[in-house]
Amino acid sequence: MVERDIRLFFQYKFLIIIRAIWFISQIVLFGLIASRMISTDAVQDYFRYYVAGLSVMTLYSAAIFIGFDIYEEAEHGVFEYLLSLPVSRRQLVLGRSIGGGLRAFIYVGPLIGISLYVLGSVNPLSFLVSLFALFLFSFGVSGMSITIAVIIKSSDRFDILMGVLDALIVRLSTVMYPLAVVQTANPLYGGVASFNPITYAADLFRWGTGIEAIITLDNPLMPLLGIIAFFAFFTFVGVTIYDRRIEGGGWQ
Amino acid sequence: MPSIIRIVNLTKKFGNLVAVDHLNLEIEEGEIFGLLGPNGAGKTTAILMLSTVIRPTEGTAFVGEYNIQKNPDKARGLFGIAFQEPKMLWVSTPWDIVNWHAKVCGLSTEERKRRVREVMQALDMWDYRRKNVHALSGGMRKRVEIAKVLIQRPKIAIVDEPTAQIDVVGKHKIWKMLREFRNEGSTIILATNELYEADMLSDRVGIMHKGKLLVCDTPKQLKDSIIGGDIVEIQLENDSPLVVEELKKFKEVVNVLQVKSSNLRVYLNRAEEVVPKIMNMLMKKDVSISSIRITEPSLDDVFVHYTGLTIEEAQKTGA
Repeated sequence: MVERDIRLFFQYKFLIIIRAIWFISQIVLFGLIASRMISTDAVQDYFRYYVAGLSVMTLYSAAIFIGFDIYEEAEHGVFEYLLSLPVSRRQLVLGRSIGGGLRAFIYVGPLIGISLYVLGSVNPLSFLVSLFALFLFSFGVSGMSITIAVIIKSSDRFDILMGVLDALIVRLSTVMYPLAVVQTANPLYGGVASFNPITYAADLFRWGTGIEAIITLDNPLMPLLGIIAFFAFFTFVGVTIYDRRIEGGGWQ
Repeated sequence: MPSIIRIVNLTKKFGNLVAVDHLNLEIEEGEIFGLLGPNGAGKTTAILMLSTVIRPTEGTAFVGEYNIQKNPDKARGLFGIAFQEPKMLWVSTPWDIVNWHAKVCGLSTEERKRRVREVMQALDMWDYRRKNVHALSGGMRKRVEIAKVLIQRPKIAIVDEPTAQIDVVGKHKIWKMLREFRNEGSTIILATNELYEADMLSDRVGIMHKGKLLVCDTPKQLKDSIIGGDIVEIQLENDSPLVVEELKKFKEVVNVLQVKSSNLRVYLNRAEEVVPKIMNMLMKKDVSISSIRITEPSLDDVFVHYTGLTIEEAQKTGA
């Protein structure tokens, strides 16, 4: 399953190229320009801050993509085929969740490489820990996408919901601005951002790439635990819901 | 042969629609079982339940030693399915599809490469293996679907309308491969609405209509079950009025129609056994014959006999 999902993703060459162009444009256009007007006590170098957050944001959108695959499969009847394969349902769902996460990670790999080039030198150990966290984050997002896709059962609604989710959970995170700034804008926003897996992923990546000085990360263990919990929850829930919803023709 | 599949009261309802209605059936190991019926008869739904893709509303089935409700994973492991509509994403290539299928089914690398090549070549697909599926014809996509099962070589193969959209030469190749597959010990469930295909391939045939199994037997027995189903047309050289009465004395003869004075149409059972006796009788009576023609009933006639509709009519009414 893992291999299939990875292979399938990389057949969408147009999408991959466009997303890569988008990523680079965000760095060389938005990042460079916007960083010139942002200089606060919380963030002295917004450009580096933004590049790190952009990598996490791109990983999130790539991992979400598995949900769209599910609709495409339902439309082409591939669901029935997958369900008829001589593998257990658990293997099937875990395979999909891991496949969805892994392919997003592979896709974002070169983009993270670009980020590292922009961000400069890193502490190898911290970087490996943050990479591991991003790995789990990617699986968790993939599991979340699968879970939502099989619950909603409509690609249009899924598309809209993902847009809303993106607006809410990405914006209410530290991907684009530090927690202190979010907190100042509205304590409620700050509360949500503090319990957001995207915040954890972004903070850990910044910690891993050595720019933790400009974030409010007291202890990297907390976001790491948050990401592990996010991954475990959506992998387990994803398996259970996928199994219940699709068994018996529930995807139709 | 022992039964490899035992279906007990298998039922599937979609809202108020009863797609499969208390299906009871046994399929023997090593046979080609033809599941015959028009579109909408419940064949595909029955197959999907049997292969654990969808859950029955009621009843169950035993596949080998496994109950599909209690051990779906084990039961599923015995099946390989070639679906009616090819199931594939259009960005994939035939090679990707069959090779991945073989991997999931646990074939070793060497075995997989060998079988993929063999089957793709046998089905004339090898030259198209790297093309995207969307660039292939309907017949070629169907071949990709059937190739999956032929590569997998499952204990029980389900082939749902395996030769739909495939040209005559391709049909015969696939039939030959399915027979060989059966001869190697696999059981094949052939769901089809092509009566000729069912007749050519099946060891036994079950006719489904409106979700129910109407009848199940060998094609020969089914044809013989139509009383007076065989027709023998006898052209005499001269008029012979006594012949009609003599023919009616055979217990297998149901009716004799004198189309013209020297042209008789005899409706009877088991024509292959009775015709030699008729010939003997005519020779003894010194009656000369200019021609004799035997017409056996087809599965079309069997379908009409049991449903009151031709398969085309049943298809139109959506039954």
